[in-house]
Amino acid sequence: MIAGLYVPGESPLHRLDVGVKLLVLMALGIGLILTKSVLLLILVVAVTGLLFAFAAELGLMRLWQTTRPLLIWFVFIAVAQILVANAETAGLIVLRLAVLVWAAALVTYTTRLSDMMECLIRIIGWLSPLGVPPHRVAFMIALTIRLIPALSDVVQDVRDAQRARGIENSIIASVVPVLTRVFQQADAMSEALEARGYERWDDQRNNAP
Amino acid sequence: MNIALDHVTVRFQDRPVLTNVSVTLTENRIGVIGDNGSGKSTFARLLNGLLIPDTGAVLVNGVSTKTDGKEVRRQVGFLFQNPDNQIVMPTVAEDLALGLKPQRLESEDRDQKVAKMLERFGLSHLADRSAHLLSGGEKQLVALAGVMIAEPDIVVCDEPTTLLDQRNAAIVMSVIGSLPCPVITVTHHVEQLAGFDRVLVLADGKVVFDGNPKTALSFYKDSLA
Repeated sequence: MIAGLYVPGESPLHRLDVGVKLLVLMALGIGLILTKSVLLLILVVAVTGLLFAFAAELGLMRLWQTTRPLLIWFVFIAVAQILVANAETAGLIVLRLAVLVWAAALVTYTTRLSDMMECLIRIIGWLSPLGVPPHRVAFMIALTIRLIPALSDVVQDVRDAQRARGIENSIIASVVPVLTRVFQQADAMSEALEARGYERWDDQRNNAP
Repeated sequence: MNIALDHVTVRFQDRPVLTNVSVTLTENRIGVIGDNGSGKSTFARLLNGLLIPDTGAVLVNGVSTKTDGKEVRRQVGFLFQNPDNQIVMPTVAEDLALGLKPQRLESEDRDQKVAKMLERFGLSHLADRSAHLLSGGEKQLVALAGVMIAEPDIVVCDEPTTLLDQRNAAIVMSVIGSLPCPVITVTHHVEQLAGFDRVLVLADGKVVFDGNPKTALSFYKDSLA
């Protein structure tokens, strides 16, 4: 179950400025594309894994939990690359992906969403004159992340209710109740946002110097 | 507090939900009871401008919900039945901080205020926890803390304990009872209204009783018989 992305902690990586983390992540992504050495990539994988498990104090178990759902894709990509290219290319691609996934997870696990939002607002702030509202974009992203576990719960509830009625694994039977509940939840949440004064947050931003 | 409903009527698709309701609310603790479909939640939503009446007017401390809904919602906090819909951010502390956005505080001041509010509600140990994984009672307290951190003048609670077990319901009601500002609580748990200053009984979209809790409760119980 997705329980929210941030893992509370006091590690040096938790304390590191979110802007620096995102810059390093971006530089790492570019570097990975440019690297052609499998040995170097193995070294980067090892360092990223150590940072993840020990420097960020997230542990080997969480590293495994992060990797496990992707293993099947890694195998699929590796096999496809071996068939169309060679084993070295397959190794390069899988190692690059592993580093990227771990590094991205490392950033999200060690960064509060609110800090990420503030950083995002700074990054896309220059788009304001073009009519792009940075606060709204950042809030929309935050809300989307917040709703992932809620949506997962709705799907699970509906599936349980269907199974209780003897309907096993019917996507068609689940679609309508899931959509109904999602729309109801969206309505209720927009009403709650209004009650919490979301429109005033907007006013404050618009009036900001 | 002064909330005045003046000849208020609300219809949903031509079906009257509230009909010609006129009351003035000034007491510190007001309860609203009634059966399902009696118009309780509609009544509550009128008080902070989430709903605008089809006819009549609602004035909160002299401000019309129709012409200045934003100001009314600044004054009137609203606690919903289902906290899952009210909690917006992934962690407890972040959700409380969201309510401080209009105040444009420096991050240190904001964090201090959040910590203070969490402490006040006995939620400090949950600050960095995923709100999604809390118990029902904890979620409702987080939602209430999220309302209170915006420092409203009045709080409206719409069936705040309906989804909770008795123990958590008692905790939430105790916290609501201790709030320093006037509170209007909509419920169908009549026993929760003991000690209130005034109770309204709604039936079929009308206020059928308005008085002290003791008399209101016996009126409501008689009407169920």
